Amino acid sequence: MTPNLPRADCAGDCSHPEVARRDFLFGAGAALLVVSIPGVGVAQGKRADYPKKKVALLSKLKKGEPVVFRYPWDHANCESVLLKLGRVAGGGIGPDKDVVAFNGLCPHMGWALPAKAFRADPGIAGPCAGHLTAFDLTRHGTVVSGHATQGLPQVVLELDGDDILAVGVLGLLFGFHDNRAEPK
Amino acid sequence: MELPLYERRDRVPLPPKGATVRTTGCAYCAVGCGYKVFTWPVGTEGGPAAKDNAFGENFPTGFEGVWVGPNQHTVVSVGGKPHHCVVIPDPDATAVNPGGNHSIRGGTLALKCFTATGPTKDRLQFPQVRVRGKLVRVGWDTAIEAMAAVSKHVLAKYGEAAWGMKTYSYEFFENTYAITKLAFESIKTPAFAVHDKPSMSNDTAGIDDAGIITFSAAYEDFKAADVLFVSGTDPYESKTVVFTEWMMQSKAKMIFVVPRRTMGVAHAESKGGLFLQIVPGTDALLHMALARVILERGWEDATFVREWVAGAWEIDSGFGRGSRNTPWQWRTTWGDIGAVDFAAYKKWLLAYEPAALEFAAKETGIPKEQIVVAARVLSGGGGAAERPKATFLFEKGNYWSNNYANTASMASLALLCGSGNRPGRAVSRLGGHQRGWMGAAPYPREKSPERLPGRRKLELDLDRWVEKGEVRFLWVIGTTWTGAMTASQELARTVRKLTVASDHQPTSDKKDDIVAALVRRADAGGMVLVDSDLYPVNPLNTELADIVLPAAGWGEHDGARCNGERRLRLYPKFYDAPGEAQPDWWVVARFARAMGFAGYDWPDGNAVFEEAARFSRGDVLDYYPLVWRARRDGKTGHDALRALGTTGIQCPVRHEDGKLVGTKRLHDSALKLADPEGPTTHAKWLTAFNTHSGKALLVKSPWELFADFYARIKPDPAKGELWLTTGRINEFWQSGFDDLRKPYLAARWPTNFVEIHPDDAKPHRIESGDTVRLTNDDVLIQTGGFNRVEADELRFSWLEKNGHIRIGNGSVEAVALVTPAVARGVLFGYFLLPPNPFNALAHRVPDPITGNYRYKLGKAKLARTGESPYKADRRFLSFHRRDFVG
Repeated sequence: MTPNLPRADCAGDCSHPEVARRDFLFGAGAALLVVSIPGVGVAQGKRADYPKKKVALLSKLKKGEPVVFRYPWDHANCESVLLKLGRVAGGGIGPDKDVVAFNGLCPHMGWALPAKAFRADPGIAGPCAGHLTAFDLTRHGTVVSGHATQGLPQVVLELDGDDILAVGVLGLLFGFHDNRAEPK
Repeated sequence: MELPLYERRDRVPLPPKGATVRTTGCAYCAVGCGYKVFTWPVGTEGGPAAKDNAFGENFPTGFEGVWVGPNQHTVVSVGGKPHHCVVIPDPDATAVNPGGNHSIRGGTLALKCFTATGPTKDRLQFPQVRVRGKLVRVGWDTAIEAMAAVSKHVLAKYGEAAWGMKTYSYEFFENTYAITKLAFESIKTPAFAVHDKPSMSNDTAGIDDAGIITFSAAYEDFKAADVLFVSGTDPYESKTVVFTEWMMQSKAKMIFVVPRRTMGVAHAESKGGLFLQIVPGTDALLHMALARVILERGWEDATFVREWVAGAWEIDSGFGRGSRNTPWQWRTTWGDIGAVDFAAYKKWLLAYEPAALEFAAKETGIPKEQIVVAARVLSGGGGAAERPKATFLFEKGNYWSNNYANTASMASLALLCGSGNRPGRAVSRLGGHQRGWMGAAPYPREKSPERLPGRRKLELDLDRWVEKGEVRFLWVIGTTWTGAMTASQELARTVRKLTVASDHQPTSDKKDDIVAALVRRADAGGMVLVDSDLYPVNPLNTELADIVLPAAGWGEHDGARCNGERRLRLYPKFYDAPGEAQPDWWVVARFARAMGFAGYDWPDGNAVFEEAARFSRGDVLDYYPLVWRARRDGKTGHDALRALGTTGIQCPVRHEDGKLVGTKRLHDSALKLADPEGPTTHAKWLTAFNTHSGKALLVKSPWELFADFYARIKPDPAKGELWLTTGRINEFWQSGFDDLRKPYLAARWPTNFVEIHPDDAKPHRIESGDTVRLTNDDVLIQTGGFNRVEADELRFSWLEKNGHIRIGNGSVEAVALVTPAVARGVLFGYFLLPPNPFNALAHRVPDPITGNYRYKLGKAKLARTGESPYKADRRFLSFHRRDFVG
């Protein structure tokens, strides 16, 4: 069995900290993650870049104790959860590559995944109270089991000294049509 | 096939005001959720303000609000021009998936659509002929005329049974009507089978024999029940919205009978339900033990039995069911099985050794105490002030093992619990595919070369007929065939010998040359193979078929069909089919005209739909009143159905008080019917059971008919053998023909998997993420036994003794998921993923009474072959338990 896997910028292990955070995933930089069908551009012209937002201090994190923040906007749908998993995770930062953050709305039908539903052990968010969808926090929020039509949007993190910065989102936030369009 | 790249988009275009909106149904499972499709020209977009988008909603929306996910948008061609296309669950749905509930499959329907540059770009677009081993493009004329010329030769020289068809049973009434008109009315071939079985037998004969129609329930029955007995399936994993919308939201206690713990099972347990973890193949023993516990303690529903179960006189009157010339009647004459009255059934069961609790516990692996608890929950245990409303639901884990006895024993158990004809007390299949079969004529059983004991005609086993070399021309439509049948690698080998390995191959793309070579092939004992499909299918059309025809599918032509509660909807065309692809009814009609058959001049799909309506009359999916009324109103049948949107109408359709009304459930003893009106027919089974007397039948289910086969196929732990059972998971539909082209789902499951219990993995040092090989060099294949005379010729031991069983082999590869969710001694994998479907390791010896395969009873030896790249590459797969409930 020799599957033809799509090339990744991170050559095999997608949790390499050296890889630029926005480029680490799925073979394309977050800034380029727009409609990818040729001939179809973005009709609304230039879009704002993701803000950089300090969301936690690495030294204060404890395994399994979630940190809740809003990103990229101060909007209910932007409630996000940062968690030190205590195990290596795709997109994880810190010396153990185990600190990740995800949006807290189930992309199936927009039910809230509360902070307590983010479990360092075994590294799952969910199952969602609505329809039992669960997401793999060690694998970029992919569906473990359930109905969401995309993985749980992953908040891209960077480390600046002890500061943990949110710098982008992979995937569309539930209810949004554009993560970078500020809600009115 | 290379895995498509999954890019995580963070933006989607919104449909602007004025976008074209259509309703449709999901393309996949039996539930058939309602969807809305928005199309509009590329270059424009709606805005986030309510006044600027087609939804009239301000974005961002909130909890359960209207939303378009990135995998719900694509770009398609409409009238030759690029259009945005958004497919979302209908937020306005009131039936099936109210408010827009959906599965991961249906939720990503947009990505199914053909795009010239995306992962679906490999759709078949033009007719092709295999010339010197390589497919080359030809015109429709050449392809169809060559097929007709070869067919005429085969029919004239070898007869109807040498001209076969293998087709889906579900892909819209228009297509199945055209296909059966050709096969059963014009050609009259008995060599015909649908996608999931080798012959035109009934799926769940034991349920039928009890007088229960298998899709009798309404989804609201599942919500209304107090107990849900769910056998051989976890609807969470395969009929998702039935579970999340109709079962999970009910207060019912669920009893799951499956060999592995899935999310639905885990949820049921967390709510006080029961998990009866059964050894594959032993359901009949469990059902009989449950019935025996109930009868021994007097827990049966005596009132229901008195009123609704046939007594001796009612059984004898018309042999219980009416016409003598029915499969049911043939079965009853042997004495071993058949209907008996309550007293006789009770006497038989209480004295019947395999129905004993101890025996059941030993064989099923379910503790005695748990069986007694389940019997108490199902029946109320005699002490309940009010008997619980019990609904019995089942699927292929139940009936694709010991088909007849499992379904017959389940029907009897349900009847003893008072289920089958009242709200919340249903007995129903949950369904695999939707119900899209509309037969134009009956299967010509009289032409079948296959016989049951007593020389009664039986539907022909097409695979065995092919294996015997009796089929000279075969047209496969919309199914992977070789991969989908049991012993699938052996079947592919046989077909290869008969086709591409033949000396007779076309050497040019000229019609006469093609015909000459293929006629020589047929005359030399080979087989000419035509395949109609959406995609390249390995090996069926990539390597084996001589003529490959491109089909237009969902969204590319107007089609109608019903879901698992008989709800009829229109699935309209909303974009251009790729290249020269055409709906199958169009291809069949063109072929039929080339053959010189009359009655195939349909101008459009609606004409087929309206003609087919007449042939639905009096049947479960009767929609004739809809068409009759549409004509009176000056509309087409399709337009009348289109106007009903995602609600549609439940069949059989009736006309009452000047209005069309649907039928919520069958056998509905609470339904009040007025006098029949206009084209309405009032079948007895609307309000009673489907028997001569209208009363249900208690049918015996002897273990002996299966026991010799079961003993032969039981894995031997000393040889390192394990059960290999298969099933569905949410993320795939069928062969993954769409899903492996949906980058999100292909990243979740880049390959097939096998669940292994830790105790079975340990001796092989297998851990999750390792690659493993599963082999079975003891795949049993029935080769003969067409002409049975004595009753014992049904038995496996007779077939084996008389040289009708050969032994083949199969080998598949997968990524290991080591999990205690699956029972010790049992492996579980997905049944039909390319390139090596697990069906390869299941035996090709069908149930002798019903002709159905025992797909769920394969066996395998395990070997670790290495480590998959997915262990390290976290973009793919997930190794967490899928039954995690926290």
